[in-house]
Amino acid sequence: MSVLDVDAVSIHFGGVKALQNVSLEVGEWEIVGIIGPNGAGKTTLFNCITGFYRPTRGKVRYRGRNVSRLDVHKRAALGIGRTFQNVGLVKGATVLENLRTAQHLETEYNPWFGIAGGLNSFIEEGRITRRGRQLLALLGLSDVADTTVADLPYGMLKRVEIATVLATDPDLLLLDEPGSGMGPEEAHGLGETLLALRKQFGTSIVMIDHHVPLVTQVSDYVYCFNFGEVLAEGAPEHVRNHPEVARAYLGEEPVEGGGAEADAGTESGTAGTLPVVREEEYA
Amino acid sequence: MSTTLRRKPGKRGHAASEASTVEPRDADGADDTKALPAVAAAENGWFRPSAGGWFARAAAWVLLLWLILAVPANVLSPFDFGVSDINLAIAAVIFAIIGLSLNVLIGYAGQLSLGHQAFVGIGAFASAYVVTNLGLGFWFGVVVAAGFGAVQALALGAVSLRVTGLYFALVSLAYGTFAENSLFAVSEITGGEGGKPADRPAGFAEDQMYYFLCLAFLVLVLWLDWRLTRSKGGRALQALRENPRVAASYGIDVRRYTLLAFVVSGTFAGIGGALMAHHQQIIVPGIFDFQLALIFVVMTVVGGLRNRIGVVIGSAFFAGLGEGGGSEGGGFLERTIGLPAEFTGIVIGPFLLLIVITLLPGGIGQLIGPVKDWMLGKRFDRNAGKLKEVEVSDVRA
Repeated sequence: MSVLDVDAVSIHFGGVKALQNVSLEVGEWEIVGIIGPNGAGKTTLFNCITGFYRPTRGKVRYRGRNVSRLDVHKRAALGIGRTFQNVGLVKGATVLENLRTAQHLETEYNPWFGIAGGLNSFIEEGRITRRGRQLLALLGLSDVADTTVADLPYGMLKRVEIATVLATDPDLLLLDEPGSGMGPEEAHGLGETLLALRKQFGTSIVMIDHHVPLVTQVSDYVYCFNFGEVLAEGAPEHVRNHPEVARAYLGEEPVEGGGAEADAGTESGTAGTLPVVREEEYA
Repeated sequence: MSTTLRRKPGKRGHAASEASTVEPRDADGADDTKALPAVAAAENGWFRPSAGGWFARAAAWVLLLWLILAVPANVLSPFDFGVSDINLAIAAVIFAIIGLSLNVLIGYAGQLSLGHQAFVGIGAFASAYVVTNLGLGFWFGVVVAAGFGAVQALALGAVSLRVTGLYFALVSLAYGTFAENSLFAVSEITGGEGGKPADRPAGFAEDQMYYFLCLAFLVLVLWLDWRLTRSKGGRALQALRENPRVAASYGIDVRRYTLLAFVVSGTFAGIGGALMAHHQQIIVPGIFDFQLALIFVVMTVVGGLRNRIGVVIGSAFFAGLGEGGGSEGGGFLERTIGLPAEFTGIVIGPFLLLIVITLLPGGIGQLIGPVKDWMLGKRFDRNAGKLKEVEVSDVRA
């Protein structure tokens, strides 16, 4: 059974058709990459999967269960974790505090007992603090554990965000541009981390990113979106060399664009970021 | 291990400055975790006061406890703490409880309540009714007051799920005015113009004893507030105040925790109200007007949102300005320079508010931050507890 099954989802905002008839499947342990130019509906799809938006038509199934009408926090409890395009962290708190916050569902005491200061709450707090530190150590973030999030550079925030979403103990990880603000080398390192995390946590991953080399490096399957529709799908190499994909990004004629994109991708390797401006999205 | 585990989280100024000095060292030597704890601690600025330092801190603590416990009781004290003084002290403690109640709403949940006089008033009359009309004891009255406070806060909280920000502030203002003009006008509940008698419990009828009773309740509220911020509920509130979407993606039920904040705030306010009623012994509905709600907000913000010691001091300060509400002899300024008590807070408050918003975002809490950290055994640091700016989430309301 597939972990995630997006079944012909459409969503309209007034007259704007943000997603049209999008179907997508994520298997157990699979890493699925999503690419596409700005405004293609990638983040909108994430919002449909996590519950911030309700699809106008179509269904979202998670492990065979229709979750299309569930609230965000209930889907999170089922194991759908996500990161945000412009860093979903509590900025006024320290990194470790964020890790504790993210373990909300893991924290096994009633909030009222926590307020009353029940003994169990102290023990649990100790446990989730240790677990948070372990996760930070795993991602090489131990040094910044006690730094306030607002004082950290952007690239590091992206890693902290991955640590927090892992702290929610997800089964399905939705990463919205985890490689943004990273150079080619950092992005490659991130790719390695993601592959290792899949092994260690046994999660399936869906990842939106503009770093084509990163997506190619880690993905088993890639979807390319344009204007709210799936433009191309298949193995990473297949999608990357797809003429329509290059045209969608560069706005050139299919034949010319296809050639140019393939060259850029294979020859230089470092100039992997496609020339796009990041879309504005409110997290 | 030794380096990170030994540092205490939560002290923003400290953590930030330490991290910046530590980083380069950590960057080149990955194996520095093997360093001896003592060495690592010294390099990190982990601080152990000298014998003199301990003595100075102990002296400061003794002085503080002496001020709070001995002086009001006229024990080991050269001052004569009179009737009006002790009444002011009781009012200060009660206001501190109310300030902490409002701090939960404004500071933690990010909901500006302009109708908090209703929260307090309902608690006051609930307790007075239980004691006077039903003939049940004071302790039962406080519990009922806390319960009523929680229930009415829950109702207003349900509204806040639909209406947020400035509009919620308006709704709460309307709610306060509504309670003032309808609920508090029912003479069966409030005793009309003459007020409702509210006797003090046996053994605490004397002013001094009642002061210590209120102090005990303040300690209880401080404990609950402290545990709230250090547990699941408080973190959930912080997350949903700063970013409700992120909070929801962590599995935090935004509605449930918003309501939790309202219930906690209402409970504190109910307790404060009950103590206020039994402090004055005859509680009149007239004092629960909008001006009081305004003073509550001002004293909390001036004290410093999310800083419980700051809120306590700010509230006590405004109580001292004469907003003690009916304490004999009025406030300090009335007795010294003759400014009528009922105007002091409303005259001085806005100026202090302006200073806090422009210069001192952390309020009194920021001012006393260095002293507090020092008393807790840290090195004296002028910048401890300093906030850079008023948070966006506060301005939003």
